[in-house]
Amino acid sequence: MKIVVAIKQIPERDAAVRIDAAGAWIDESDMQWGMNESDAYALEEALRLKEAYGGEVIALSAGPERVSSTLREALAKGADRAIHVDAKDLAQRDSLNVAQLLAAAIRPESPDLILTGLQSDDLGYGLTGVLVAELLRLPHASLILHVEKTESGLSVKRELEEGWFQNIELPLPALLTIQSGGNKLRYATLMGIKRAKTKELRNVAASDLGVAPAQTVALERIALPQKQKSTQILTGPAKEAAVALVERLKFEARVL
Amino acid sequence: MTLLLPTLAEPSSFALGEKLLFAALAVASGLLFAHRFVPILRTILRARKDADFRLSPLGRRVRDLVWDVMCQAKVIRQRPLPGLAHAFVFWSFCAFALVTLNHCAAGLGLGFLSPAGLFGRWYFYLAAAFALACSAGILGLFVRRFLVRPRWLGSHVSWESGFIAFLIFNLMMTYLAAFVVPTGSPAVKVLWWVHTLTLLVFLPILPHTKHLHLILSPATVFLSRGSFSRIPPLAGDEDFGLVAGTDLTRLAALQAYSCVECGRCTEHCPAADTGKLLNPKEIVLGLRAYLNEQGPASAEPILGKYNAQEAVFQCTTCGSCEFQCPVGIEHLPLIVGLRRGAVNTGTWEDDRGARLFLALERGTNALGLPAAEREKFIQKQNFPIFDGSQEYCLWLGCMGAYDPKGREIVADFARVMNYLGTSYGVLRKEKCTGDPVRRLGNDLVFQQLAESNLELLAQSHAKKIVTICPHCVRTIQEDWKEFGTPPAIEHHSEFLARHLSRLPQVHSDEKIVFHDPCYLGRYRNVYDEPRAVVEHAGTRVEAARSGERSFCCGAGGGLTFLGEESGERVSHVRAAELAATGAATVAAACPFCNSMLHDAFAAQGSGAPEFVDIAQLTARALPQPTPPANG
Repeated sequence: MKIVVAIKQIPERDAAVRIDAAGAWIDESDMQWGMNESDAYALEEALRLKEAYGGEVIALSAGPERVSSTLREALAKGADRAIHVDAKDLAQRDSLNVAQLLAAAIRPESPDLILTGLQSDDLGYGLTGVLVAELLRLPHASLILHVEKTESGLSVKRELEEGWFQNIELPLPALLTIQSGGNKLRYATLMGIKRAKTKELRNVAASDLGVAPAQTVALERIALPQKQKSTQILTGPAKEAAVALVERLKFEARVL
Repeated sequence: MTLLLPTLAEPSSFALGEKLLFAALAVASGLLFAHRFVPILRTILRARKDADFRLSPLGRRVRDLVWDVMCQAKVIRQRPLPGLAHAFVFWSFCAFALVTLNHCAAGLGLGFLSPAGLFGRWYFYLAAAFALACSAGILGLFVRRFLVRPRWLGSHVSWESGFIAFLIFNLMMTYLAAFVVPTGSPAVKVLWWVHTLTLLVFLPILPHTKHLHLILSPATVFLSRGSFSRIPPLAGDEDFGLVAGTDLTRLAALQAYSCVECGRCTEHCPAADTGKLLNPKEIVLGLRAYLNEQGPASAEPILGKYNAQEAVFQCTTCGSCEFQCPVGIEHLPLIVGLRRGAVNTGTWEDDRGARLFLALERGTNALGLPAAEREKFIQKQNFPIFDGSQEYCLWLGCMGAYDPKGREIVADFARVMNYLGTSYGVLRKEKCTGDPVRRLGNDLVFQQLAESNLELLAQSHAKKIVTICPHCVRTIQEDWKEFGTPPAIEHHSEFLARHLSRLPQVHSDEKIVFHDPCYLGRYRNVYDEPRAVVEHAGTRVEAARSGERSFCCGAGGGLTFLGEESGERVSHVRAAELAATGAATVAAACPFCNSMLHDAFAAQGSGAPEFVDIAQLTARALPQPTPPANG
């Protein structure tokens, strides 16, 4: 199976985020970057499928020079080669435009399967994956936790609300957006990093893909979240209070 | 005088046939010995060279050879009775070298020591004294091995050891008997031949038994890497640690063949002692079996048939095995080497281990918490930020910055420094030193952490670091050297001991027992300083195992992050041992020991002694105590 994994590079989890002077995006100077979490799970799923059924895993990312470090990480974890769509102007491109870039890069590869994370941890639109599928006219399914190959195509497990799951089948080629937590992520190894040095990392200029920057959706303003602390005291007998606590943990805090 | 003292009776002459027979037997014995020994030597020499091996400093090597081999210091100090018995056997062998040469030469009519001559007479008496001591020693060792049977010798009864003991005893008896039989009697010849045949049987037996250590261990001790638990740098792009035979170096091979199977490593191993699979002796014997069956050019994995991966990852890296080993085997480079092989190639799969690696690949600390938690703690404690103007950079470590108990220790130590008027500051962006990933064999993450911390420290212009964590001390001072030059670092026990005269002393009969952290004691050789701090605060008592024989808390080697243990919990065994001293207070000097033993004492329930760090012992005697920080 030939699998393309589309990966986004986002600010590192612990990085201190500052808003830039224009107020419409973060200040990217001195920022540390890392792989978007659900994309890491998409890569993991791709590597597991390759281990089980053979084939090739191609990591794909669009962005400026810095994204090559994330592609190297994907190669180190086991991707066979990588494609870097060199686009220095991501801020002037919206989800549809980036999806057009990715679709244009994927098309000549004609993969059996395209995987990507459910959504990015920075913008969180959850659009890019499904847009790529539409642009390539491929069947797609989102929020996938588990993938299995069948004789006719794929059998996948989707996560629904409130602990429900849905099992669906779809033909290949297809595109899936992967939910975090379905697998356990592998750790990077020294051997992986060393082997990655000899793997192909191909640079494709965004201009060569014929997709000029365009925006149908533009970010107007971003703001840091306000810190809020509120305490609720649950009164009444312990039994009732416990029931109320479980309710709130389940539906308000959503930790259960 | 000469009439009163017995004289060694030697055969007066040998017939030509006898001489030829002796010569033929001696050549056969020598050839058989070579036939068995040369392949072992070739295996060792065919192994990969140790890239980082340096013969200097020669002085240290000579000292080790004289002290630990010739004087048998370690053998005697760590196990006095059997050690002394072994030393007598060893010294007798040395004394007998000349006697044996003369004995064989005599068989060819070329004897050079005469029982009648002044030197010969004196020397034979000296050898006789050694023979008596050796006989007593070998008898004692025989009784111990076959009747007392200590558990670390294993359940397997070694008949081979019994046979060798018999041969040695026989050599001594046939020598001593020659003083009693009258010169010229036929018994003299019989004794000579029995002694000779024993020697000729003894020689070819050596290479295939653990008595190979007679030949190899002086070289092993002399050539050892020297510094404790030294993990060699990876050599080149294809070195990932000990994966297969091609990764075993000459030192590793030499050490594998030197093992005398005495079980000192097993006896002191916290994993073996609590019913886990790991037995350091079996790790070494597994490597020997690998070398015998596969050889040093093999690509067959070492983990699997020859050594269990599960066992390798049960090591707390406490270093008792390496510290105890009388023949110079360095277990930690072997065990960590096998871990490196498994982790660097991705064959080790462990959920918690992977979580730790990912936390340190992407984040800043081994606990996997957001770095903002550390900043909040620094703000809350009002710790000054290090700007190059202060005397000390106070290194918090993961435990000091994120663990609630570790934070209490840091806060109390900072109070002591404030009281002393010592200037210090903390770094804004300190990361984990890489200790847990270093010991678990993840070279990739370790290098990333070491390099980024070294860069941070270089920018900060820190000259002196002090920390509450002996794991940080070890990793910064020794392990980082591979990637740069770390600033000087010391453990807070050393700092506190140096300033004791300026700190309030408490004269109390409160009994306090000190638990030696492995990374402070065996790794850094710091035993007296924390004890001085303890004595400043109360009356010191000692646990059954303390100092260089201290028993691990179970946390080291990254194990604290792996969670579940099979068998008994190491920390519970240690906590019970510390409580058995009857001390009201247990003091430690490591945040990992602190975390492990705190939980273990909590599990003991009421009546468990109070548990503190030595910094807390000191801080509680300070005037005007501020409420303890709880982060």
